[in-house]
Amino acid sequence: MTIPSALVREARQRAGLSQKELAERAGTSQPAIARIESGRGSVTLATLTRMVAAAGFELVMELSPGGVDDAVIAAYRRDVDRSLLRHNLQRSVDERLRAGAEMVTAGHELSRAVRTAAGRSGRPK
Amino acid sequence: MTWLERLLGALADAGVEYILVGGMAARAHGSARLTQDVDISYARSDANLARIVAALAPLEPYLRGAPPGLPFDWSAGTLRHGLNFTLTTTSGDIDLLGEIVGGGRYEDLLPHSTVVPVFGHEIRILDLPWLIRVKRAAGRPKDLEVVAELEVLREEIERGGA
Repeated sequence: MTIPSALVREARQRAGLSQKELAERAGTSQPAIARIESGRGSVTLATLTRMVAAAGFELVMELSPGGVDDAVIAAYRRDVDRSLLRHNLQRSVDERLRAGAEMVTAGHELSRAVRTAAGRSGRPK
Repeated sequence: MTWLERLLGALADAGVEYILVGGMAARAHGSARLTQDVDISYARSDANLARIVAALAPLEPYLRGAPPGLPFDWSAGTLRHGLNFTLTTTSGDIDLLGEIVGGGRYEDLLPHSTVVPVFGHEIRILDLPWLIRVKRAAGRPKDLEVVAELEVLREEIERGGA
């Protein structure tokens, strides 16, 4: 799936339109819409703008400094605890998922206990 | 049995066509992060919508965060008229995703998924490269933090960690 195809599909779905309805609004055919949404073939910027507009949206493009996400990810990577990952990789998939589910349940129970204790002591919950 | 086993078991027993994505898929691959809900990309065929309804009905699905008592019709028709649903059930929270940013629909993700035995069922899970891809596409700060962990996880796997 390409970005233009995803944009057209999202615009159409958010507008609650069928492919046929969007085609009629955009002055094209339903197979043309289907082709665009499937990601087959290229779409010009003008066509993309027209399709999105036909669904009632405006296509906004802007420049963004490159590599920002990569810099953030690189910063986060330094804090990843590899020992936890290695430990998990020694477990089976069942064990990984079961342990996660049990920790979530324990977290909920702990939250409930804290709320109950706060209620008993008269503090705001 | 944990809430997760009950939830995934219900989907498997009903034959629901879906791909496990999001934090629980990351957890299955080896992530150390905890996630409180199950995210699935589901097939939108009428037959599959009926399977989802049948699978989750006993678990009393309800719109997560909605005020109690709000009318909610749990039916294939409701699923057909929407796309993404965030639900709470008696066996945990589940997000039904008709389409995900950077990944598309169930059919788009299918070639990038792998079948893994989980809790006695064959469950389809989004593969690690595409999990990283969709998290990157989501692009929120918390997603980038996940991407960092998943990239390190991929390195560990390539080094023979699993």
